[in-house]
Amino acid sequence: MIGAKILLVDDEAVFTKNMSKLLANRGYVVTAVNSGDAAIQVMEEKDFDVVVLDLKMPGMDGLTTLKEIKNLGLFTETLLLTGHGSIDSALEAIKLGAYDYLTKPCEIDELVAKIEGAWEKKDVKAKKDMNEKIDRLVESPGDVFKLFPKRKKIKNVSSRLFLTYHAFMLS
Amino acid sequence: MLKKTAINDINLEEQPDDQRRLYYRKIFRKFVLLTILCSLIPLLLVGWAINIHYSDFANTRVMKSFQTRIEHHRQVIELFLRQRSSMLELIAHSHTKQYLNQAENLSKMFELINREKGSITDLGLIDENGRHLAYIGPYDLMNCNYSKTFWFKEVMNQGIFISDMFMGFRQEPHFVIAVTSSSQGKKWILRATVDSEAFRSLVENVRIGKTGEVYLLNQQGIFQTSSRFEGRIMEKAAFEMEPVHSGIKVRILDAQPANGTRHPRQVVSHVWLDEPKWLLVVKQDYAEAFTDVNHANYAVLFFLHLSALIILIVTVFITRHMINVIKQRDREADQLNRRLMQAGKLASIGQLSAGVAHEINNPLAIILTERQLLLDAGRLCPHPEPVFVEQFDDSMSQIDVQVQRCKRITQNLLRFARRTKSVIDTVNINSFLGEVIELMKREARSSGIKFMPDFDENIPPMLSDPSQLQQVFLNLITNAIDAHEQKPYGSVSINTRISGSRDGVEILIADTGSGITPENVDKIFDPFFTTKMVGKGTGLGLSICYSIIKRLGGEITLTSIINEGTEFKIYLPYKPSAKLIEAMEKGDGEFD
Repeated sequence: MIGAKILLVDDEAVFTKNMSKLLANRGYVVTAVNSGDAAIQVMEEKDFDVVVLDLKMPGMDGLTTLKEIKNLGLFTETLLLTGHGSIDSALEAIKLGAYDYLTKPCEIDELVAKIEGAWEKKDVKAKKDMNEKIDRLVESPGDVFKLFPKRKKIKNVSSRLFLTYHAFMLS
Repeated sequence: MLKKTAINDINLEEQPDDQRRLYYRKIFRKFVLLTILCSLIPLLLVGWAINIHYSDFANTRVMKSFQTRIEHHRQVIELFLRQRSSMLELIAHSHTKQYLNQAENLSKMFELINREKGSITDLGLIDENGRHLAYIGPYDLMNCNYSKTFWFKEVMNQGIFISDMFMGFRQEPHFVIAVTSSSQGKKWILRATVDSEAFRSLVENVRIGKTGEVYLLNQQGIFQTSSRFEGRIMEKAAFEMEPVHSGIKVRILDAQPANGTRHPRQVVSHVWLDEPKWLLVVKQDYAEAFTDVNHANYAVLFFLHLSALIILIVTVFITRHMINVIKQRDREADQLNRRLMQAGKLASIGQLSAGVAHEINNPLAIILTERQLLLDAGRLCPHPEPVFVEQFDDSMSQIDVQVQRCKRITQNLLRFARRTKSVIDTVNINSFLGEVIELMKREARSSGIKFMPDFDENIPPMLSDPSQLQQVFLNLITNAIDAHEQKPYGSVSINTRISGSRDGVEILIADTGSGITPENVDKIFDPFFTTKMVGKGTGLGLSICYSIIKRLGGEITLTSIINEGTEFKIYLPYKPSAKLIEAMEKGDGEFD
C-alpha cells in the first residue's frame, strides 16, 4: 500500500532531509520544502494528504502559511510542529483548522501516529465529498462527467465554465 | 550553623553596616549643627546683646542715682554751714563791737542763733590781737589768745572762715566759723563753734543700704566725720585724695588689700564742698548697689540659656526621630529594590531563556531524527556484529536519555518564560491541595515521606489560576520530598489558614529535610540556581513558583534551619486585584 503523500515544511534543511528519510523509510511519500512560500507553490501544483508545518520560520511563518493553505480549499490536513513556548500559537492554529500539533523535538513514532490520524481524517472527508458528488451526479444525469481514476478526480465536462486550477480542484 | 533566616527579613542591617551608620551619624551631626547655627546662635547673640545693653543702661541708672544722692547731701551740708555763717555775718555787720562786747548782748545773740536747735555751742568776740573780749559757752576760754591759731590768720585775711575739725583748747573735735567786721579802723572777729554733734549726725546718720556710708574729708585726707567702716574722726583716711575739682565724680573702686574685711568692689562718688574745701564721699559696696541689676541680669541669662538648652534637646530628639524615619524609609526602599531586582532578573532571564530554548530545540529535533535514522539503518543492516549491536543500542538509548533531559530543560525554560493567559477560576484551596497531595502520594511513599495536611475548614472559595497554582504546589512538594534525600524518612506538613493581617489565605509547606544554608536562602529564587545533583534539577522550579505567585498578587517567603527543615509560606489574596486580572487577561504583566 502506498503511504500518505506528505509535505514537510521546515526552515531547517537538515531536519527536513532527515525527517524525509525517516518518513520515506516508513513508506510515506515525502516532499520537503524550507519555507512557507515554497510550500504554497508546491501545493498549487501537487496534491498532498498531510502537511507537517513548522510554526517558527523566517519569512512567512507557520500560522500565515496555514491560512494560505486553508485558502487553497483542499482536503489536506495540517500538523504543526511547535516549540513548547508557542503552545498558544498551536492552539490558535487548531482554531484555524489545523489537525493537531506536536512539540519539538518529537519522537518519530509520535509523529507517525499523528500523521496516520490526519490522513485518515482527510480520507474520510474526501470520501464523504466524493459520495456527495456521486449523489449529485446521480441526481443530475444531464451532466457529463469525466473520471480521472489515477488522480481520483471526476470532472463535470458539461459545465462550460472555464475552470481555473482551483475550481478544478474544488469540483 | 544553626541559623534562622527569612528571605524577606534580610535587610540592610547586614549589608553596608558601617557605611550606613557613618552616613546616619553624618546626617545627624549636620542637622544638629544646622539647627544650632540657625536658631541657637542667633538667639544667644540677641540675648547677649540685649543683656549687655541692658546692663549698660542699668549701670548708668545706678551711677545717676549715686550722683543725685551725693548732690542732695552736698546741698544739705552746705545749707547747714551757710545758714550759720550767714547768721554770724549778719550779726557782725549789723552790730557794733561795743554792743557785742557786753555779755548780755552777746548772750542774746547766742540765744537768737540757737533758737534753732543744735546750731552753735559757743560764741565769742575776739579783737584784732586774738584776745577774747567776750565769750558765751560751756568752756572757760576767756583768757585764751587765738593770735597763733591757724584760723585766726585765715579769717583776718579772708573776712570769713570755716575751719577744719580740730581739737583746740577744749581737746575734742570741733570746728569754728569766724567772721570779721571792723569798727573805728580796727578789725574784730565774731567766732562761733558749730554744734559738732548736730553737724556730725547730719552726715554720719545717713544710711545707704547695709554697706553704704557718707563721710567728709578735708584736703589733707583727715576724716571730718566718723566713718562707719573706715575710721574715726580726725584720723587719716586711706582714701586716695585728688586735687580740688568741680562737679561730681563717680567711680568703681577695687578694694585695697589692707581693707580685707570689705567687699572687693565699691562704688564711690565724691564732690568738693564750696566752703570749706571738704570732700564729701558717698560709698557703697558694688554688689549691693547693683543687686537689682545683677538679679535682672542673672534672670535674663538664666532663661536665655535655659531656652537654648531646651532648643538643643528638642533638636536632638527631633533629629533622632527623623533619622529613624529615614532609616525606616531606606530599609523599605532596599527591600523594594531587592524585589525589583529579583523581578528584573527573572524578566531578563525569561526573555533570554525563551530565545535560547527555541534555538536549542531545533538541533535537538535534528539529533533525534539522526538517531532515528541510525536506528532505521541499523535495522536494515543484514549481519551486524553482536559487539557493535550492543554498543549501538547502548549509545542510542543514552542519546535518547540525554535529549530527553535537554528537552526537559528547554521545556522548563519555556514554561518559565511563557506568556500565557492566566485562567482565573474559583478555587477551593483545601480540596485543591488535597488533589495535589493525592497526586504526589506514591512518589512520597517510595521516599519514606508522610504527608501531614492540616487545613482550616473556614477558608472560603477564592479566585485564582488553578493550573498555575498546581504547578506551584507540585514544585514545592517535589522539592520538599527531594530535601529528604539524606534522610531515610520524614514528613511534609501542609497547612492552610486565613491570613491574620491581610485579606487572603496562607499556605505553609514545611519539610523535615536538610534545610538551606543561609547563603543559599538569598539565591533560592534565582533562575538556574539549584542544589540538586547535576542533571536532576534545572534550577527553575522555584523561579517559576515565585513568578506565578507574584503574578497572582501573592507572596512567597521561606524560613530554613539547617538539618531541621524548610518552611515555605505562600500568601494568596482571595482574589487578584482588578488591575491584575485585566493584565492577566491581556496575557502580559508576566514579569512586572
